[in-house]
Amino acid sequence: MEKTIKKSAILMVLPLILFFVFLTIFPFLYMLFMSFHHYNLLEWKPPYFIGLENYINVFKDQGVKSSLSFTITLVLVALPIEILLGTFIAIFIQNLIGEKFVRSVLLIPMMVPAVVAGVMWKMLFNVEYGPVNYFLSLLNIDKIPWLGSSFYSKVAVIIMDIWQWTPFIFLVLYAGIQTIPQDLIEAGKVDGANRWMILRHIEFPMLKPLFWILIILRLVDILKLFDIVYMTTFGGPGYATHSISFYIYKVSVSFGWDVGYGSALSVLLLVVITILTTILIRTMRLWELLEL
Amino acid sequence: MLRKIIISFLKWILLIIILFFFLFPVYWLVTTAFKHSQDWFSWPPVLIPRSLTLENFTGQARGFEGSLSSSIENIVPYLKNSLIIALFTSLFCTIISASAAYSIARFKTGGRRLASWIVSIRMLPPISTVLPIYILFRNLKLLDTWWAVILMHLVFTIPFSTWVLISFFNGIPKELDEAAYIDGASIWKTFLYLILPLSAPGIAAMATLAFIMSWGEFLIALILTSSPRSQTLPIFLGRYITGFRIAWGPLAAAGLVTMIPVIVFSFTMQRYLLKGLTFGAVKY
Amino acid sequence: MRKYLVFLMFVLIFILGPNLQAQKEVVLNVWSSPDNADALTDIANRFMQKYPNIKVQVTPISWEVLYPRMLADVATKTGAFDVATWDVMTAGAVAPGFVDLEEFRKQNPDLVDPKWDPKDFDPTIWHIAGIWAGKNIGIPFYCNTMLFYYRKDLFNDAKLKAQFKAMTGKTLKVPTTWEETIDVAKFFTKKFNPNSPTDYGIALMFPRTHTLFYMYLLFFAPYRRSPEGIKKWGEVDLDYGDYFTADKKPAFNSPEGVKALEMMKALMPYSPDPLGSDYGETLEYFAKGTVAMVPQWTGVWANFKVAPALQPFDKKVGVAMMPSGRSVSGNWALGLNIASKNKREAFLFIQFATNKENDKIKFMKFGVAPSRLSTVRDPEVRKADPRVSVFLETIKTQSHRPRIPEEPKLEDITVGAFSQILLGERPNTVEELNKIADEWMKILKK
Repeated sequence: MEKTIKKSAILMVLPLILFFVFLTIFPFLYMLFMSFHHYNLLEWKPPYFIGLENYINVFKDQGVKSSLSFTITLVLVALPIEILLGTFIAIFIQNLIGEKFVRSVLLIPMMVPAVVAGVMWKMLFNVEYGPVNYFLSLLNIDKIPWLGSSFYSKVAVIIMDIWQWTPFIFLVLYAGIQTIPQDLIEAGKVDGANRWMILRHIEFPMLKPLFWILIILRLVDILKLFDIVYMTTFGGPGYATHSISFYIYKVSVSFGWDVGYGSALSVLLLVVITILTTILIRTMRLWELLEL
Repeated sequence: MLRKIIISFLKWILLIIILFFFLFPVYWLVTTAFKHSQDWFSWPPVLIPRSLTLENFTGQARGFEGSLSSSIENIVPYLKNSLIIALFTSLFCTIISASAAYSIARFKTGGRRLASWIVSIRMLPPISTVLPIYILFRNLKLLDTWWAVILMHLVFTIPFSTWVLISFFNGIPKELDEAAYIDGASIWKTFLYLILPLSAPGIAAMATLAFIMSWGEFLIALILTSSPRSQTLPIFLGRYITGFRIAWGPLAAAGLVTMIPVIVFSFTMQRYLLKGLTFGAVKY
Repeated sequence: MRKYLVFLMFVLIFILGPNLQAQKEVVLNVWSSPDNADALTDIANRFMQKYPNIKVQVTPISWEVLYPRMLADVATKTGAFDVATWDVMTAGAVAPGFVDLEEFRKQNPDLVDPKWDPKDFDPTIWHIAGIWAGKNIGIPFYCNTMLFYYRKDLFNDAKLKAQFKAMTGKTLKVPTTWEETIDVAKFFTKKFNPNSPTDYGIALMFPRTHTLFYMYLLFFAPYRRSPEGIKKWGEVDLDYGDYFTADKKPAFNSPEGVKALEMMKALMPYSPDPLGSDYGETLEYFAKGTVAMVPQWTGVWANFKVAPALQPFDKKVGVAMMPSGRSVSGNWALGLNIASKNKREAFLFIQFATNKENDKIKFMKFGVAPSRLSTVRDPEVRKADPRVSVFLETIKTQSHRPRIPEEPKLEDITVGAFSQILLGERPNTVEELNKIADEWMKILKK
């Protein structure tokens, strides 16, 4: 009995393991191998070994530096705003008239495909005819070159990211609040706690693990940011809005498939992400949550 | 009393601002899809179009444009590709991740090591796999097929849904399974007839998220597909940006068509989303 | 859950349905930039009437992806497409993946249409959009070039002329040099002249995409091609283009290269968001009457023609040579994939699409600039479109981007750096341009 159970249990994870071995380990090994080679499709030459040269170049690369700094900006600015705004809305709409309706429509940005969102925002941010500048002009603010200045293009990407991802944070937290047993809150009320105290001492501690999960998910997704930048600023002006993924895309695809250097960049990105997630998984005690 | 009125008034104002921020872009896209070409861009912008038109959908005979860049009449194969890819991604994702999650949750198969591997795949940036996958799929003759896209979308949806489902299964009392085993049911039967129905909301939520993700995914589809045989809707949009003009109207119309199925699908699944997205994290 | 299953069933039927009918005919996959997709589809329809057993499928692929996708396909010999349009500056990069058509014509004389006249192309065009390393890797299809569009009504307006005279002491006319353009652009910018009928003088596109790379040539080529420039750098090599000297070294890292950027910077205040606008936006600025002048490709003509703000069109829109006289080429050619399994049919299609008849039809119907001299000289064509007479001149005088394989990489580095210089984040000096040139040399050596 014990044995058959074990066998079935392994059989059940087997598809997943095979699938990932095939589709993630192979690519990773290929990437690792190529990262020590010079291989560029447009040169029409087979790959040749160059040792660590690709990795050394990464540290001299202006594009890497700027995309790193832009990504850090995103993490430091967009992420906190998204979490705060998402939390605020999740609490704010509780018991409001039309809660259900608001909840439903707020999910729309999350479902709009990023490419469509990019097209949309490109129109909205247009300097001459865009509604964003129109609304600002009603407040007597001059037309802002949203996609044409280093500063504002960064702001624009941050706004788009907030627009698209706050709903996800809102949804998760809202769902979390729903699962908090009402009697706990009632008990708090009986003890004379006000709204803020209930939030502070009952709801937040219970939602804490969710915050950790959201932070780690968003952090990693910022490192993956690509579509919106591709559709709106194309990384510009200058290097102002090159996200890391967008820069790797340019190196590995749009310049003509610089496979070697692109692989080196990807390997480094993976290393960074692995370190980040390991730290985060430890601090947020994911294993306790998963009971493993 | 007055204080209460003021507070609720302020609340409403705040709500309107929030809704405006999140919904106005969508409103703009939807109206642009029905606007005449002279209203796509103007100053002041046409916030409420005075007359609507369907010509962005059906095409119009004007200037030098042909039907490819002035209507969305060729969208059907792309819509079909998107539907197939998203549905199969969603289906396979739930099957593979639910069975794996059950095994990991109940029998600790692979322990933390396996689980952390799965979680770390969730963190994998798509761009970093695109190159080797392109070459691998070319050798397997999978380029420009639904399968290429489905397989890669699965890579990015399975980890998350496994992760969430592990916590979901943990929330179902173990005694239930054990009772079933004692009655002589196999793991498979227990899983299929007992656990799956109990965890339906979580599974439905994961299916929905996988669908949303696959539907909107751009980079992988961009690299792996090259013809109406397998290109998805997000790739379809690129054709309206030409050197002659950007056809904002048809672009918005195509964007609208791209948006509607996923929104309808997600709205119908919404209550599951709410139940499924708690990661089992809120303990009491 | 049940709803979901029903939905799934529906989809399964949806998939299986159309695939039941088997196809016996040859299917040609044509990858096209969105610019040419409509014209090619039209040509394909006529081609299919002529050859009913060949099915032609035109797929528009956006510019940004078309080149890398094509390169990946030809480099790995996948054969996902049979015919593709390639952009002039990617010629060198994709060349090894395309069939030498000259050779193909010799080997398949039965397919060659005797009326298809290879001498009917301008030799320069034939070279840049057809030849790489002595191989005929494509046939010129879309002979695009940049033109200077201006608001005829404003330049002819007596009141504005008088105002301009009073303000600058000069006569208001369509500028023939960039220096003159500054005065005119300033005059037409509301911020500097409250009486201006337009908000801005000129619409410029200096975004982060490849656009900035060719826009620079409009300003640099006049120096590069002047008698002094030729003396300094030698004749322009048609493979390396105006960015390079005759002996294949960068030429832009020079006082003249700095001056070109200086000129671009000087014009920026009179342009709506130059760094954030690409062609989609700039043509819109002109079509809405927001600007008085715009350097643009040939294709936008169609769009201007129906713009309500530009009516009556004949009186309001004029076309001239680029100020300082140097346009830039932007040709597209049709090439045959070396890995194609239907080379004979694909060749027939390319030949059909580039014959005299279709060259004319695609111009008259879709405004795709003609690549054959016979079309440009056709009286009916000339009558239909005043731009055509300007074409012949620009073909001779226009500048070219590099066509070497490394072009995309050079382009990105350069656009990144120029963009920063225009932003003011980097100084505009010869030393700074030398740094870019050094990077170029490093890439070229590999």
